Amino acid sequence: MIFRAVEDADLIVRARRGDVEAFNLLVSRWEKRVFNYLLRLTGSPDDSLDLSQDVFLKAYQNIRKLDDPARFGPWLFRIAHNEACSDFRKRRPEAHEDAAALADREAAPGIALDLSLAVSTALDRLTAEQREAVVLKVYQGFKFEEIAEILGAPVSTVKSRLYTALGLLKEELAPANKRGTK
Amino acid sequence: MESGCDRERLCDFAFDELAAPARAEMERHLAGCAACAAELAQLQLTTAALRVLPDREIPQRIAFVSDKVFQPSPVVRFFSSFWNSGARLAFASACVLAAAIVFSAYRRPAETQSHPQSVVTAGMTRDELSHEMDARINKAVSDAVARVHQEDARVTKAALESADRKAEQQRRELMVAMGEQMNTLQKRLGVLTEYAMAGPERNAGTGQ
Repeated sequence: MIFRAVEDADLIVRARRGDVEAFNLLVSRWEKRVFNYLLRLTGSPDDSLDLSQDVFLKAYQNIRKLDDPARFGPWLFRIAHNEACSDFRKRRPEAHEDAAALADREAAPGIALDLSLAVSTALDRLTAEQREAVVLKVYQGFKFEEIAEILGAPVSTVKSRLYTALGLLKEELAPANKRGTK
Repeated sequence: MESGCDRERLCDFAFDELAAPARAEMERHLAGCAACAAELAQLQLTTAALRVLPDREIPQRIAFVSDKVFQPSPVVRFFSSFWNSGARLAFASACVLAAAIVFSAYRRPAETQSHPQSVVTAGMTRDELSHEMDARINKAVSDAVARVHQEDARVTKAALESADRKAEQQRRELMVAMGEQMNTLQKRLGVLTEYAMAGPERNAGTGQ
């Protein structure tokens, strides 16, 4: 993990000097995480791909403003969060993809379909802020301090959103869990 | 949950966000609190259920192509990458060191000429170096012997001159003393001569 961080820092230094290949290598390391983060917020693969491209373009244009290369991850996800918010405001009237169809495609092999469907449905019932907190913590594994930096909110707010969301998810998923574990 | 149970701290514990002492404290609490242990199990079950949704592969790779119009020339890029690299400091240090050596070499030519024996004998073989050292040692010994001989000759000459001066002075003092004695003798001889001349006249006077 430390070795990976050092390599990213080196690529960031080279990208700051205008080395496009170094930045492309950086993109290849982070594109899947950014894409999945945006996919879980928007529910649309096409929109998520477009947003991902915008995110990395903005990152390239502003990489000289990144003070600490070790904070590249939270900084990149902050850009992604802003892009997602901006896109959400523009597309608000549009209905997102049907959660059941999304769950059908995303179901992991060997996992009961009703559990995947239940998870997708439960996530969809959360507010956007709660869902984003869950995505950043559970799926992306950021620390609370990093999530606060990404969302531009205090750590206490982040925790409040996450724990409320987990309480709701626990209630939603309890029956599915019982069925899935049978 | 019992009173004193902290749900937020329990969630922090579940996400490994507690410091080591607080974590140990929570573990002790969980060992004795069935309600919190059940809550933790529910939380872990919920997060495990959330993780059944796997990450999806990105449908199309993202990559950027730089436009050559906006790129600096290869020479500028090379110089820029070199100058901004870690070698910059080493190169600057080497330049400063080289400048200092050159400056020092041109600054002190007289000193190096006045000590030809201190010239570095780089490139000489071992035998040449040995011969060179023997020659230098012999020359140094010869110089030292010559200096000793010169010093001895100087001291001897000075001693002889001093002895000559002393003998000359003694000879002069002797001549002066002899002169004075001669004068004294001449004066006595004069007195005796006068006395001898006056004796017959005195005898003739008493014979009348």
